Amino acid sequence: MKNLNFFLVSIVQTLLRVLPFPCRTGLAKLGSPGRDAPVLLTGNFRLTVERVRRALEGIDAYLLIANSRGVNVWCAAAGGHLTNHDVVSVLKTSGIENLVDHRQVILPQLAATGIEGTIIQLKTGWKVVWGPVYATSIPQFLRGGLEKMPQMRTVRFEWPQRLEMAIAWAFPISLLTVLLLPFWKEGMLPLIGFVWAAAIIIFLSFPLFQARLRTAEKNIGFVFFDFGKRGVPLFLWAFFMLGLIGYSLLAGEFLWGIVLRWGLSSLIVLLILGLDLMGSTPTYKSGLHEDRLLRIELDAKQCKGAAFCEQVCPTNVFAVDHDRRLAFLPRERQCVQCGACIVQCPFDALHFRSPTGEVVAPDTIRRFKLNLLGKRTVGAHSAQIE
Amino acid sequence: MSTYVLMRILESAPRRYELGIQLLTLGRLDKAYDRLASHIKREQQVLDIGCGTGALTLRAAQRGAKVKGIDSNAQMLEIAGQRVKTAGFNEPVELVEMGVAELDAEEPQRYDVVMSGLCLSELSEDEVHYTLKQVTRILRPGGLLLLADETRPECLANRFLYCLIRIPLAALTYLITQQTTHGISNLVKKLKTAGFAIVSTRFNRLGSFGEFVAQKPVDATS
Repeated sequence: MKNLNFFLVSIVQTLLRVLPFPCRTGLAKLGSPGRDAPVLLTGNFRLTVERVRRALEGIDAYLLIANSRGVNVWCAAAGGHLTNHDVVSVLKTSGIENLVDHRQVILPQLAATGIEGTIIQLKTGWKVVWGPVYATSIPQFLRGGLEKMPQMRTVRFEWPQRLEMAIAWAFPISLLTVLLLPFWKEGMLPLIGFVWAAAIIIFLSFPLFQARLRTAEKNIGFVFFDFGKRGVPLFLWAFFMLGLIGYSLLAGEFLWGIVLRWGLSSLIVLLILGLDLMGSTPTYKSGLHEDRLLRIELDAKQCKGAAFCEQVCPTNVFAVDHDRRLAFLPRERQCVQCGACIVQCPFDALHFRSPTGEVVAPDTIRRFKLNLLGKRTVGAHSAQIE
Repeated sequence: MSTYVLMRILESAPRRYELGIQLLTLGRLDKAYDRLASHIKREQQVLDIGCGTGALTLRAAQRGAKVKGIDSNAQMLEIAGQRVKTAGFNEPVELVEMGVAELDAEEPQRYDVVMSGLCLSELSEDEVHYTLKQVTRILRPGGLLLLADETRPECLANRFLYCLIRIPLAALTYLITQQTTHGISNLVKKLKTAGFAIVSTRFNRLGSFGEFVAQKPVDATS
C-alpha cells in the first residue's frame, strides 16, 4: 500500500512537475520517536514529503511539514513561498515543543536562500542546522553526527534527474498539442512522439553541450530565449528539417504541405522546450532571471571565516581557510546566483554586483524574493536591481 | 509563447490580489466587510489579522478606531501601506510584518476588537487552533472577534455544487494571484471550543462564504 502510494505520487508528479502540489502541513511522526529524536523540516510539496518519508524509513524522527504553497523547497525558498514566517509557524503551532527536549531543527540546505537561521532562533528559540541537499543523504547525515560531506551539499544533474526534467516539459507540451486535433488529426500522434523524443534528446545529451551555454552574456532575445549563443535546440531543428526535406525528396515528390507543417510545429515545440533550458537544471541560473547577470563578491575585511557560505552553497563555490578565518571563492564560475550564502552570512561579508557595477546589498536579497521572471520586485520599484 | 504572457501576469501577483479575490468571492466581499466594520466604535483598539492589502484595516480606521494590521506577506503590506497613506490614516494605523504564530508576543486583553478577512482559510488546522487560542487571550472580556471567510458548505448537495462552481474560479484566481485557499470547515464549532459566544452568523445561499461575529464572554477568566 505504501509502495503503491509512492509509485502513484511519483508518476503523477513527474508528469506534472511544473505545477504546485500541496499536501497537509504540520507534524508527522516517523517510526516511534522519543524525546531526543531528531526534528526535520521540509516544504509541503507532495513529492518531496513522500521522498523524505521513504528516505527516512527505519529512522525514528519527527518531520515538520511547513507551508511552501505546494512548491518544492528550493523554488519556494527562492520565490518567497517558503519564508521565515512559515518555518516559525510550524515550529510554534504544531506542538513539537512539547514532544522533544532539545531545540534543534534540521532544515533542507536548499531552503537557505529564503530562511534566515538567526531569525528563526530569535523568534522561536530553535537552532537551525542546514541538512543535506538530497533527502537520500539524511540517514548518513544523522549517523555522522550532523556532519555534512561536500557531496551532501552539492546539487547534481545526473541522468535520472535529466530524464525527470525531460518528462516535466514533454508531458504538458503534448497536452497542448491536443489543441491541434481539429486541424491536423493525422499529425497529432507523430507530433507528440516528436515532443517526447526532442525533450529526451535535449536533456539526456545535456553534458555534451552544457559547456557552450553562457549565463553571463545578455544576449537573450525573444526567439532564442536561453539557448545561449549557439542555440542548441535550433541545431537540432535544422538537423530535423534536413532529414525531413531529404525524406520528402526521396519519397519521389517534394511535399510542401508536410514540410511546412512539420517545420513550423517542430520549431514551436523546440522553442517551448528551450524556453528555460538552463532554468530546468539545478546547475545553471534560469536564463530568464535577471539575477543570472550578478556576480558574487566577498568583502574580505568583513569575513570572519564562519563558513556558513560553505555549508549552504549548492554548487560548492567556497573554501574556508580556518586558520586565517577567511573564505575564498575558488569555484566562483559555478555560482548559480541563488543568494543562499549572502542570506546566511552573519557578517554581511557577501554581496552581488550587477553588470553595471552596482552592489546588491544583503538586505535586498533577504527581503525581496525572485518572482517567476526572476526579478526581485516588491511593490515599490526601489527594490529592482537595475 | 503563452507561457511568457502568463508569467507577465503572475509577475505582479500581489498587485492583482484584490481583483482575484473579488472574482473568487463574486464581488460580495466589500459588502461583507462593510457589515463587519459596522461593529467597530470610535477609539477602540483593533487588530486585523492577515490584513493583506488593508481592506478591513482601512474600514476600521475610517470608523475612528486605532488599528494594528499584521500580515506575513511583505508585498501585501507594502500595498496596504500605500493605501493607508493615500487615505491619510498614517497615525491611527500601524502595519507590522508578522505571522499568526507570533501573536503570543501581544499583551493580554489589549484589544477591543480582533478581525480577520479571508485569512483563516489560508491557515492550517494547527494554525487556526493556535490563532483562536491567542485571540481569546489578547481580547478584553466582552471584546468582539469579526470574521469573514470562505467556508465549507455543511450540506452534502451544496458541497458538490460548491466544488463544481469553485474549481474554475479557483483556477482563475490562482493564475491571477498565485493564492489558493480552501473553505474553512466547522468554524462555528471551533469558535465555541475556543470559548467564544456566537453573536451572529450570516452565510451566502450555498454556505460557501460566511460572516461571523463572536464575543469573548464578559466573565471569561483569561
